[in-house]
Amino acid sequence: MGVTCVCQVPVAEGKSVQQTVDMLHRKLEQLGAVKQGNFCVDCETYHPVGNTSGQPPKFLYVMHNSETPLSCLALFEGGPCLTADGNFDVLMVKLKSHFQNSKGHKVESRGARYQYCDFLVKVGTVTVSSSARGISVEVEYCPCVVPGDCWNLMKEFMQSFLGPSVPELPSVFAAKPEGLYAPVDCSDTMTQYLELFSKLRKQQVVSGSSVR
Amino acid sequence: MADVMNVGVNLEAFSQAINAIQALRSSVTRVFDTLKDGMKNKETLEGREKVFITEFQDNLQAVNRDLNELERLSNLVGRPSESHPLHNSGLLSLDPVQDKTPLYSQLLQAYKWSNKLQYHAGLASSLLNQQSLKRSANQMGASAKRRPKVQPSTLVLPPQYVDDVISRIGRMFPDMSIELFRPNGTSAVLLVTLGKVLKAVVVMRSLFIDRTIVRAFNENIYTEDGKLDIWSKSNYQVFQKVTDHATTALLHYQLPQMPDVVVRSFMTWLRSYIKLFQTPCQRCGRYLQDGLPPTWRDFRTLEAFHDSCRQ
Repeated sequence: MGVTCVCQVPVAEGKSVQQTVDMLHRKLEQLGAVKQGNFCVDCETYHPVGNTSGQPPKFLYVMHNSETPLSCLALFEGGPCLTADGNFDVLMVKLKSHFQNSKGHKVESRGARYQYCDFLVKVGTVTVSSSARGISVEVEYCPCVVPGDCWNLMKEFMQSFLGPSVPELPSVFAAKPEGLYAPVDCSDTMTQYLELFSKLRKQQVVSGSSVR
Repeated sequence: MADVMNVGVNLEAFSQAINAIQALRSSVTRVFDTLKDGMKNKETLEGREKVFITEFQDNLQAVNRDLNELERLSNLVGRPSESHPLHNSGLLSLDPVQDKTPLYSQLLQAYKWSNKLQYHAGLASSLLNQQSLKRSANQMGASAKRRPKVQPSTLVLPPQYVDDVISRIGRMFPDMSIELFRPNGTSAVLLVTLGKVLKAVVVMRSLFIDRTIVRAFNENIYTEDGKLDIWSKSNYQVFQKVTDHATTALLHYQLPQMPDVVVRSFMTWLRSYIKLFQTPCQRCGRYLQDGLPPTWRDFRTLEAFHDSCRQ
Protein backbone atom coordinates (compact mmCIF):
# COMPACT_ATOMS: atom_id res chain seq x y z
CA MET A 1 0.00 0.00 0.00
CA GLY A 2 1.34 3.34 -1.00
CA VAL A 3 0.12 6.86 -0.43
CA THR A 4 -3.46 7.36 -1.56
CA CYS A 5 -5.49 10.45 -2.24
CA VAL A 6 -9.23 10.38 -2.90
CA CYS A 7 -10.90 13.45 -4.33
CA GLN A 8 -14.06 14.58 -5.96
CA VAL A 9 -13.99 15.79 -9.53
CA PRO A 10 -16.64 18.32 -10.45
CA VAL A 11 -18.87 17.42 -13.35
CA ALA A 12 -17.83 19.43 -16.39
CA GLU A 13 -20.07 22.31 -17.42
CA GLY A 14 -22.83 21.11 -19.71
CA LYS A 15 -21.81 17.46 -19.48
CA SER A 16 -23.36 14.48 -17.77
CA VAL A 17 -21.54 12.42 -15.12
CA GLN A 18 -20.89 9.64 -17.64
CA GLN A 19 -19.50 12.07 -20.24
CA THR A 20 -17.11 13.56 -17.68
CA VAL A 21 -15.96 10.08 -16.66
CA ASP A 22 -15.37 9.17 -20.32
CA MET A 23 -13.35 12.33 -20.74
CA LEU A 24 -11.16 11.39 -17.76
CA HIS A 25 -10.66 7.92 -19.20
CA ARG A 26 -9.57 9.42 -22.50
CA LYS A 27 -7.12 11.76 -20.80
CA LEU A 28 -5.61 8.90 -18.80
CA GLU A 29 -5.25 6.74 -21.88
CA GLN A 30 -3.57 9.60 -23.73
CA LEU A 31 -1.11 9.85 -20.87
CA GLY A 32 -0.21 6.19 -21.37
CA ALA A 33 -2.20 4.61 -18.56
CA VAL A 34 -3.40 1.04 -19.05
CA LYS A 35 -6.84 -0.11 -17.96
CA GLN A 36 -6.75 -2.99 -15.51
CA GLY A 37 -10.28 -4.08 -14.77
CA ASN A 38 -12.80 -2.47 -12.46
CA PHE A 39 -13.12 -1.54 -8.84
CA CYS A 40 -15.88 -0.96 -6.34
CA VAL A 41 -16.04 0.75 -2.96
CA ASP A 42 -19.31 0.67 -1.03
CA CYS A 43 -20.50 1.99 2.27
CA GLU A 44 -23.52 1.04 4.35
CA THR A 45 -24.73 3.18 7.20
CA TYR A 46 -26.06 1.83 10.49
CA HIS A 47 -27.78 4.02 13.03
CA PRO A 48 -27.94 3.15 16.72
CA VAL A 49 -31.25 1.93 18.10
CA GLY A 50 -32.67 3.26 21.36
CA ASN A 51 -30.83 6.54 21.58
CA THR A 52 -31.80 7.59 25.09
CA SER A 53 -29.42 10.48 25.64
CA GLY A 54 -30.10 13.82 24.04
CA GLN A 55 -26.95 13.76 21.93
CA PRO A 56 -27.19 13.47 18.16
CA PRO A 57 -26.84 9.82 17.09
CA LYS A 58 -23.44 8.51 16.06
CA PHE A 59 -23.46 6.42 12.91
CA LEU A 60 -21.54 3.27 12.17
CA TYR A 61 -20.28 2.83 8.64
CA VAL A 62 -19.38 -0.56 7.18
CA MET A 63 -17.33 -0.34 4.02
CA HIS A 64 -16.01 -2.80 1.43
CA ASN A 65 -13.25 -2.26 -1.05
CA SER A 66 -12.58 -4.53 -4.04
CA GLU A 67 -8.87 -3.94 -3.47
CA THR A 68 -9.13 -5.95 -0.22
CA PRO A 69 -11.94 -8.37 -1.07
CA LEU A 70 -11.61 -10.54 2.05
CA SER A 71 -11.85 -7.75 4.61
CA CYS A 72 -14.36 -5.14 5.51
CA LEU A 73 -13.91 -1.97 7.46
CA ALA A 74 -16.12 -0.65 10.22
CA LEU A 75 -15.78 3.02 11.09
CA PHE A 76 -17.56 4.51 14.04
CA GLU A 77 -18.28 8.17 13.53
CA GLY A 78 -15.54 10.19 15.20
CA GLY A 79 -14.24 7.04 16.83
CA PRO A 80 -12.26 3.92 16.24
CA CYS A 81 -11.78 2.12 12.98
CA LEU A 82 -11.95 -1.66 12.77
CA THR A 83 -10.68 -4.00 10.08
CA ALA A 84 -12.61 -7.26 10.07
CA ASP A 85 -13.23 -10.36 7.98
CA GLY A 86 -15.71 -10.21 5.13
CA ASN A 87 -18.49 -11.87 7.13
CA PHE A 88 -18.66 -8.92 9.50
CA ASP A 89 -21.93 -8.07 7.68
CA VAL A 90 -23.50 -11.22 9.12
CA LEU A 91 -22.56 -10.08 12.60
CA MET A 92 -24.23 -6.73 11.98
CA VAL A 93 -27.49 -8.56 11.19
CA LYS A 94 -27.27 -10.18 14.62
CA LEU A 95 -26.72 -6.78 16.22
CA LYS A 96 -30.03 -5.58 14.81
CA SER A 97 -31.23 -4.66 18.27
CA HIS A 98 -28.39 -2.13 18.62
CA PHE A 99 -27.65 -0.98 15.09
CA GLN A 100 -30.19 -0.72 12.31
CA ASN A 101 -29.25 -0.57 8.67
CA SER A 102 -30.37 2.75 7.24
CA LYS A 103 -31.98 1.70 4.00
CA GLY A 104 -31.50 4.06 1.13
CA HIS A 105 -28.23 5.32 2.57
CA LYS A 106 -26.06 2.87 0.69
CA VAL A 107 -23.34 4.75 -1.19
CA GLU A 108 -21.18 3.14 -3.83
CA SER A 109 -18.39 4.14 -6.15
CA ARG A 110 -17.80 1.95 -9.19
CA GLY A 111 -15.53 2.43 -12.13
CA ALA A 112 -12.37 1.54 -13.97
CA ARG A 113 -8.93 0.95 -12.51
CA TYR A 114 -5.94 2.28 -14.42
CA GLN A 115 -2.23 1.74 -13.98
CA TYR A 116 0.37 4.25 -15.06
CA CYS A 117 3.95 3.46 -14.10
CA ASP A 118 3.82 3.18 -10.31
CA PHE A 119 0.51 5.03 -10.04
CA LEU A 120 -2.89 3.41 -9.60
CA VAL A 121 -5.82 5.56 -10.69
CA LYS A 122 -9.46 4.67 -10.03
CA VAL A 123 -12.12 6.79 -11.62
CA GLY A 124 -15.53 5.99 -10.16
CA THR A 125 -19.10 7.15 -10.40
CA VAL A 126 -20.58 7.71 -6.97
CA THR A 127 -24.17 6.56 -6.61
CA VAL A 128 -26.39 7.16 -3.60
CA SER A 129 -29.25 4.65 -3.58
CA SER A 130 -28.68 3.96 -7.28
CA SER A 131 -28.70 7.54 -8.54
CA ALA A 132 -25.45 9.06 -9.85
CA ARG A 133 -24.25 11.91 -7.67
CA GLY A 134 -20.68 12.68 -8.67
CA ILE A 135 -17.26 11.45 -9.64
CA SER A 136 -14.53 10.15 -7.36
CA VAL A 137 -10.90 9.85 -8.35
CA GLU A 138 -8.49 7.83 -6.27
CA VAL A 139 -4.79 8.17 -6.98
CA GLU A 140 -2.32 5.87 -5.30
CA TYR A 141 1.46 6.17 -5.54
CA CYS A 142 2.55 2.66 -4.62
CA PRO A 143 6.33 2.87 -4.00
CA CYS A 144 6.16 5.59 -1.33
CA VAL A 145 4.81 5.27 2.20
CA VAL A 146 5.25 8.78 3.61
CA PRO A 147 2.46 11.08 2.38
CA GLY A 148 4.41 14.27 3.03
CA ASP A 149 7.33 13.04 0.93
CA CYS A 150 5.52 12.39 -2.31
CA TRP A 151 2.68 14.89 -2.11
CA ASN A 152 4.18 17.38 -4.56
CA LEU A 153 4.88 14.57 -6.95
CA MET A 154 1.31 13.29 -6.74
CA LYS A 155 -0.05 16.78 -7.18
CA GLU A 156 1.95 17.15 -10.38
CA PHE A 157 0.58 13.85 -11.64
CA MET A 158 -3.01 14.75 -10.80
CA GLN A 159 -2.63 18.11 -12.52
CA SER A 160 -1.69 16.28 -15.69
CA PHE A 161 -5.17 14.80 -16.09
CA LEU A 162 -7.42 16.69 -13.68
CA GLY A 163 -6.30 20.15 -14.65
CA PRO A 164 -6.44 22.89 -12.04
CA SER A 165 -8.94 21.18 -9.73
CA VAL A 166 -6.31 19.43 -7.64
CA PRO A 167 -7.10 18.82 -3.98
CA GLU A 168 -5.00 19.78 -1.01
CA LEU A 169 -3.21 17.18 1.13
CA PRO A 170 -6.01 15.02 2.56
CA SER A 171 -6.83 15.98 6.13
CA VAL A 172 -6.37 12.40 7.28
CA PHE A 173 -2.65 12.80 6.54
CA ALA A 174 -2.37 16.40 7.67
CA ALA A 175 -3.60 15.41 11.13
CA LYS A 176 -0.87 12.80 11.51
CA PRO A 177 2.45 13.63 13.13
CA GLU A 178 5.49 13.78 10.91
CA GLY A 179 7.01 10.45 10.01
CA LEU A 180 3.93 8.30 10.40
CA TYR A 181 3.24 6.45 7.23
CA ALA A 182 0.26 4.85 5.60
CA PRO A 183 -0.66 1.56 7.27
CA VAL A 184 -0.92 -1.71 5.40
CA ASP A 185 -4.71 -1.86 5.66
CA CYS A 186 -6.37 0.83 3.62
CA SER A 187 -8.08 2.62 6.51
CA ASP A 188 -6.70 6.00 5.42
CA THR A 189 -8.14 5.47 1.96
CA MET A 190 -11.50 4.41 3.33
CA THR A 191 -11.66 7.39 5.67
CA GLN A 192 -11.20 9.61 2.65
CA TYR A 193 -13.93 7.78 0.74
CA LEU A 194 -16.23 8.15 3.72
CA GLU A 195 -15.63 11.90 3.86
CA LEU A 196 -16.33 12.15 0.17
CA PHE A 197 -19.53 10.07 0.44
CA SER A 198 -20.86 12.13 3.36
CA LYS A 199 -20.18 15.31 1.42
CA LEU A 200 -21.98 13.99 -1.66
CA ARG A 201 -24.98 12.82 0.40
CA LYS A 202 -25.39 16.28 1.84
CA GLN A 203 -24.96 17.88 -1.57
CA GLN A 204 -27.91 15.83 -2.77
CA VAL A 205 -30.06 18.75 -3.78
CA VAL A 206 -27.30 20.92 -5.22
CA SER A 207 -25.55 18.30 -7.29
CA GLY A 208 -28.80 16.69 -8.28
CA SER A 209 -29.60 19.69 -10.42
CA SER A 210 -26.35 19.43 -12.35
CA VAL A 211 -26.80 15.79 -13.24
CA ARG A 212 -28.67 15.37 -16.44
CA MET B 1 91.20 7.19 -18.01
CA ALA B 2 92.76 4.45 -15.93
CA ASP B 3 91.15 1.86 -18.17
CA VAL B 4 92.60 3.40 -21.24
CA MET B 5 96.13 3.48 -19.79
CA ASN B 6 95.86 -0.03 -18.47
CA VAL B 7 94.83 -1.38 -21.84
CA GLY B 8 97.48 0.72 -23.59
CA VAL B 9 100.28 -0.91 -21.61
CA ASN B 10 99.11 -4.38 -22.59
CA LEU B 11 98.72 -3.68 -26.28
CA GLU B 12 102.16 -5.20 -26.94
CA ALA B 13 101.19 -8.35 -25.12
CA PHE B 14 97.98 -8.47 -27.12
CA SER B 15 99.73 -8.53 -30.48
CA GLN B 16 102.20 -11.12 -29.20
CA ALA B 17 99.33 -13.23 -27.94
CA ILE B 18 97.60 -13.05 -31.31
CA ASN B 19 100.84 -14.22 -32.95
CA ALA B 20 101.10 -17.02 -30.43
CA ILE B 21 97.55 -18.14 -31.26
CA GLN B 22 98.49 -18.23 -34.94
CA ALA B 23 101.59 -20.27 -34.17
CA LEU B 24 99.56 -22.67 -32.04
CA ARG B 25 97.01 -23.15 -34.77
CA SER B 26 99.71 -23.88 -37.41
CA SER B 27 101.53 -26.35 -35.17
CA VAL B 28 98.25 -28.17 -34.43
CA THR B 29 97.58 -28.27 -38.17
CA ARG B 30 101.02 -29.82 -38.67
CA VAL B 31 100.27 -32.59 -36.16
CA PHE B 32 97.18 -33.57 -38.08
CA ASP B 33 99.04 -33.32 -41.39
CA THR B 34 101.64 -35.89 -40.28
CA LEU B 35 98.89 -38.14 -39.00
CA LYS B 36 97.06 -37.84 -42.28
CA ASP B 37 100.11 -38.51 -44.43
CA GLY B 38 100.97 -41.64 -42.50
CA MET B 39 104.35 -43.43 -42.68
CA LYS B 40 106.88 -42.43 -45.33
CA ASN B 41 108.15 -45.00 -47.80
CA LYS B 42 111.40 -46.32 -46.21
CA GLU B 43 113.30 -49.59 -46.74
CA THR B 44 112.66 -51.22 -43.43
CA LEU B 45 109.51 -51.31 -41.35
CA GLU B 46 111.44 -50.23 -38.23
CA GLY B 47 112.88 -47.26 -40.14
CA ARG B 48 109.40 -46.19 -41.23
CA GLU B 49 107.97 -46.41 -37.73
CA LYS B 50 110.93 -44.67 -36.17
CA VAL B 51 110.79 -41.71 -38.53
CA PHE B 52 106.98 -41.38 -38.08
CA ILE B 53 107.14 -41.44 -34.28
CA THR B 54 109.97 -38.91 -34.15
CA GLU B 55 108.08 -36.53 -36.41
CA PHE B 56 104.91 -36.94 -34.39
CA GLN B 57 106.75 -36.29 -31.13
CA ASP B 58 108.44 -33.19 -32.55
CA ASN B 59 105.10 -31.83 -33.69
CA LEU B 60 103.41 -32.48 -30.37
CA GLN B 61 106.29 -30.78 -28.56
CA ALA B 62 105.85 -27.79 -30.86
CA VAL B 63 102.16 -27.65 -29.93
CA ASN B 64 103.08 -27.88 -26.28
CA ARG B 65 105.61 -25.09 -26.61
CA ASP B 66 103.19 -22.81 -28.41
CA LEU B 67 100.48 -23.48 -25.86
CA ASN B 68 102.82 -22.60 -22.99
CA GLU B 69 103.82 -19.43 -24.77
CA LEU B 70 100.14 -18.50 -25.21
CA GLU B 71 99.41 -19.12 -21.55
CA ARG B 72 102.29 -16.94 -20.51
CA LEU B 73 101.16 -14.15 -22.78
CA SER B 74 97.56 -14.39 -21.66
CA ASN B 75 98.69 -13.73 -18.09
CA LEU B 76 100.43 -10.61 -19.33
CA VAL B 77 97.31 -9.38 -21.11
CA GLY B 78 95.42 -9.61 -17.86
CA ARG B 79 91.69 -9.65 -17.31
CA PRO B 80 89.61 -6.83 -18.73
CA SER B 81 88.51 -4.40 -16.05
CA GLU B 82 85.33 -5.55 -14.30
CA SER B 83 84.55 -2.19 -12.80
CA HIS B 84 82.79 -1.05 -15.93
CA PRO B 85 79.02 -1.13 -15.43
CA LEU B 86 78.44 -2.62 -18.83
CA HIS B 87 81.17 -5.24 -18.34
CA ASN B 88 82.84 -6.31 -21.55
CA SER B 89 80.48 -4.36 -23.73
CA GLY B 90 81.84 -1.23 -22.07
CA LEU B 91 85.04 -1.80 -24.03
CA LEU B 92 83.08 -0.89 -27.14
CA SER B 93 83.50 2.74 -26.09
CA LEU B 94 87.20 2.35 -26.90
CA ASP B 95 86.44 1.72 -30.54
CA PRO B 96 88.21 4.56 -32.38
CA VAL B 97 85.90 4.46 -35.41
CA GLN B 98 82.90 5.78 -33.47
CA ASP B 99 81.39 7.54 -36.46
CA LYS B 100 81.15 4.44 -38.60
CA THR B 101 79.89 2.05 -35.96
CA PRO B 102 77.85 3.90 -33.31
CA LEU B 103 77.39 0.64 -31.46
CA TYR B 104 78.24 1.97 -28.06
CA SER B 105 75.68 4.81 -27.94
CA GLN B 106 73.01 2.54 -29.35
CA LEU B 107 73.83 -0.01 -26.73
CA LEU B 108 73.51 2.56 -23.97
CA GLN B 109 70.09 3.63 -25.21
CA ALA B 110 68.87 0.06 -25.48
CA TYR B 111 70.10 -0.53 -21.97
CA LYS B 112 68.19 2.48 -20.64
CA TRP B 113 65.03 1.35 -22.41
CA SER B 114 65.22 -2.13 -21.05
CA ASN B 115 65.80 -0.77 -17.54
CA LYS B 116 62.74 1.45 -17.76
CA LEU B 117 60.66 -1.35 -19.23
CA GLN B 118 61.52 -3.64 -16.39
CA TYR B 119 60.72 -0.97 -13.81
CA HIS B 120 57.30 -0.19 -15.29
CA ALA B 121 56.46 -3.84 -15.78
CA GLY B 122 57.23 -4.41 -12.12
CA LEU B 123 54.93 -1.61 -11.05
CA ALA B 124 52.14 -2.82 -13.32
CA SER B 125 52.37 -6.37 -12.14
CA SER B 126 52.18 -5.39 -8.48
CA LEU B 127 49.12 -3.24 -9.24
CA LEU B 128 47.44 -5.98 -11.17
CA ASN B 129 48.06 -8.46 -8.42
CA GLN B 130 46.35 -6.16 -5.95
CA GLN B 131 43.16 -6.03 -7.96
CA SER B 132 42.39 -8.35 -10.76
CA LEU B 133 40.28 -6.43 -13.20
CA LYS B 134 37.96 -9.39 -13.44
CA ARG B 135 35.38 -9.09 -10.74
CA SER B 136 34.61 -12.78 -10.68
CA ALA B 137 37.03 -15.66 -10.44
CA ASN B 138 34.85 -17.76 -12.74
CA GLN B 139 35.70 -15.60 -15.70
CA MET B 140 39.18 -17.04 -15.79
CA GLY B 141 37.56 -20.18 -17.12
CA ALA B 142 39.57 -23.12 -18.41
CA SER B 143 42.91 -21.34 -18.36
CA ALA B 144 42.71 -21.15 -14.57
CA LYS B 145 43.61 -24.80 -14.38
CA ARG B 146 46.87 -24.40 -16.22
CA ARG B 147 47.93 -21.14 -14.63
CA PRO B 148 48.34 -20.88 -10.88
CA LYS B 149 45.65 -18.35 -9.94
CA VAL B 150 46.85 -15.14 -8.38
CA GLN B 151 44.64 -14.41 -5.42
CA PRO B 152 44.23 -10.63 -5.16
CA SER B 153 45.30 -9.62 -1.71
CA THR B 154 42.32 -7.30 -1.12
CA LEU B 155 39.90 -10.18 -1.59
CA VAL B 156 41.14 -12.04 1.42
CA LEU B 157 40.50 -9.48 4.13
CA PRO B 158 39.49 -10.96 7.48
CA PRO B 159 35.73 -10.85 8.16
CA GLN B 160 36.37 -8.93 11.37
CA TYR B 161 37.91 -6.07 9.38
CA VAL B 162 34.92 -5.99 7.01
CA ASP B 163 32.57 -5.84 10.01
CA ASP B 164 34.54 -2.92 11.43
CA VAL B 165 34.49 -0.95 8.20
CA ILE B 166 30.75 -1.51 7.72
CA SER B 167 29.85 -0.55 11.27
CA ARG B 168 32.00 2.59 10.98
CA ILE B 169 30.15 3.56 7.82
CA GLY B 170 26.84 2.79 9.51
CA ARG B 171 27.67 5.23 12.30
CA MET B 172 28.48 7.96 9.79
CA PHE B 173 24.90 8.12 8.49
CA PRO B 174 22.29 8.29 11.23
CA ASP B 175 19.35 8.09 8.81
CA MET B 176 20.67 4.91 7.28
CA SER B 177 20.70 1.59 9.05
CA ILE B 178 23.04 -1.13 7.83
CA GLU B 179 22.57 -4.71 8.92
CA LEU B 180 25.20 -7.29 8.08
CA PHE B 181 24.42 -10.93 7.34
CA ARG B 182 26.66 -13.80 6.37
CA PRO B 183 24.24 -16.30 4.92
CA ASN B 184 26.79 -18.32 2.96
CA GLY B 185 30.28 -18.48 4.38
CA THR B 186 32.40 -15.38 4.75
CA SER B 187 30.83 -13.16 2.11
CA ALA B 188 28.75 -10.45 3.69
CA VAL B 189 25.29 -9.33 2.59
CA LEU B 190 24.21 -5.90 3.74
CA LEU B 191 20.64 -4.79 4.22
CA VAL B 192 20.59 -1.02 3.98
CA THR B 193 17.41 0.73 5.10
CA LEU B 194 17.32 4.36 4.10
CA GLY B 195 14.81 6.36 6.11
CA LYS B 196 11.34 5.28 5.07
CA VAL B 197 12.21 5.45 1.41
CA LEU B 198 14.00 2.33 0.30
CA LYS B 199 15.74 -0.88 1.25
CA ALA B 200 18.83 -2.03 -0.57
CA VAL B 201 20.38 -5.48 -0.50
CA VAL B 202 24.12 -5.19 -1.11
CA VAL B 203 26.07 -8.36 -1.79
CA MET B 204 29.76 -8.10 -0.94
CA ARG B 205 32.85 -10.11 -1.77
CA SER B 206 35.22 -9.18 0.96
CA LEU B 207 35.06 -5.37 0.79
CA PHE B 208 34.07 -5.26 -2.87
CA ILE B 209 30.43 -4.69 -3.68
CA ASP B 210 29.37 -7.39 -6.07
CA ARG B 211 25.71 -6.72 -6.65
CA THR B 212 22.94 -4.57 -5.35
CA ILE B 213 19.15 -4.62 -5.47
CA VAL B 214 17.02 -1.68 -4.39
CA ARG B 215 13.41 -2.16 -3.31
CA ALA B 216 10.68 -0.03 -1.82
CA PHE B 217 10.48 0.44 1.94
CA ASN B 218 7.21 -1.51 2.06
CA GLU B 219 8.36 -4.36 -0.15
CA ASN B 220 9.29 -7.78 1.06
CA ILE B 221 13.03 -8.38 1.31
CA TYR B 222 12.84 -11.94 2.53
CA THR B 223 11.97 -15.01 0.53
CA GLU B 224 9.26 -17.39 1.69
CA ASP B 225 11.73 -19.49 3.67
CA GLY B 226 12.92 -16.45 5.60
CA LYS B 227 16.18 -15.82 3.78
CA LEU B 228 17.28 -12.49 2.37
CA ASP B 229 16.04 -12.25 -1.20
CA ILE B 230 19.06 -11.07 -3.18
CA TRP B 231 17.71 -11.88 -6.62
CA SER B 232 14.18 -10.75 -7.41
CA LYS B 233 13.80 -7.18 -8.53
CA SER B 234 11.42 -4.57 -7.19
CA ASN B 235 7.80 -4.50 -8.33
CA TYR B 236 7.98 -0.77 -8.81
CA GLN B 237 9.44 0.81 -11.89
CA VAL B 238 11.02 3.63 -9.92
CA PHE B 239 13.08 1.19 -7.85
CA GLN B 240 13.99 -0.93 -10.85
CA LYS B 241 15.45 2.25 -12.29
CA VAL B 242 17.24 3.07 -9.04
CA THR B 243 18.67 -0.48 -9.04
CA ASP B 244 20.05 0.09 -12.53
CA HIS B 245 21.63 3.37 -11.45
CA ALA B 246 23.07 1.77 -8.32
CA THR B 247 24.72 -0.88 -10.48
CA THR B 248 26.19 1.90 -12.58
CA ALA B 249 27.50 3.51 -9.41
CA LEU B 250 29.20 0.25 -8.40
CA LEU B 251 31.16 0.31 -11.61
CA HIS B 252 31.87 4.02 -11.28
CA TYR B 253 33.30 3.99 -7.76
CA GLN B 254 36.46 1.91 -8.22
CA LEU B 255 39.62 2.35 -6.20
CA PRO B 256 41.41 -0.99 -6.00
CA GLN B 257 43.89 0.10 -3.34
CA MET B 258 41.27 1.38 -0.91
CA PRO B 259 38.13 -0.74 -1.02
CA ASP B 260 36.74 0.82 2.17
CA VAL B 261 36.70 4.24 0.52
CA VAL B 262 34.71 2.73 -2.34
CA VAL B 263 32.08 1.34 0.02
CA ARG B 264 31.87 4.67 1.81
CA SER B 265 31.49 6.61 -1.44
CA PHE B 266 28.79 4.23 -2.59
CA MET B 267 26.87 4.58 0.66
CA THR B 268 27.16 8.38 0.52
CA TRP B 269 25.78 8.26 -2.99
CA LEU B 270 22.98 5.88 -2.00
CA ARG B 271 22.06 8.13 0.90
CA SER B 272 21.18 10.93 -1.51
CA TYR B 273 18.04 8.93 -2.34
CA ILE B 274 16.56 9.90 1.02
CA LYS B 275 14.72 12.66 -0.84
CA LEU B 276 13.86 10.48 -3.84
CA PHE B 277 10.22 11.58 -3.91
CA GLN B 278 10.77 15.12 -2.64
CA THR B 279 13.35 16.57 -5.00
CA PRO B 280 12.41 17.94 -8.41
CA CYS B 281 14.77 17.44 -11.33
CA GLN B 282 17.63 19.96 -11.32
CA ARG B 283 17.33 20.46 -15.06
CA CYS B 284 13.65 20.50 -15.96
CA GLY B 285 12.36 21.47 -12.52
CA ARG B 286 9.54 18.93 -12.63
CA TYR B 287 8.87 15.97 -10.37
CA LEU B 288 7.66 13.47 -12.92
CA GLN B 289 8.81 12.40 -16.32
CA ASP B 290 7.10 9.40 -17.89
CA GLY B 291 5.62 8.71 -14.49
CA LEU B 292 8.98 8.47 -12.74
CA PRO B 293 10.58 10.88 -10.27
CA PRO B 294 14.21 11.99 -10.80
CA THR B 295 15.96 8.66 -10.26
CA TRP B 296 19.48 9.66 -11.28
CA ARG B 297 21.93 11.10 -8.76
CA ASP B 298 25.09 12.72 -10.04
CA PHE B 299 28.18 10.82 -8.85
CA ARG B 300 30.00 13.97 -7.77
CA THR B 301 27.40 16.55 -6.84
CA LEU B 302 24.62 14.09 -5.84
CA GLU B 303 22.10 16.32 -7.62
CA ALA B 304 18.84 14.75 -8.76
CA PHE B 305 18.01 14.37 -12.43
CA HIS B 306 15.56 12.44 -14.53
CA ASP B 307 17.25 9.68 -16.44
CA SER B 308 16.77 11.56 -19.72
CA CYS B 309 17.70 14.97 -18.25
CA ARG B 310 21.14 14.00 -17.00
CA GLN B 311 23.16 14.54 -20.18
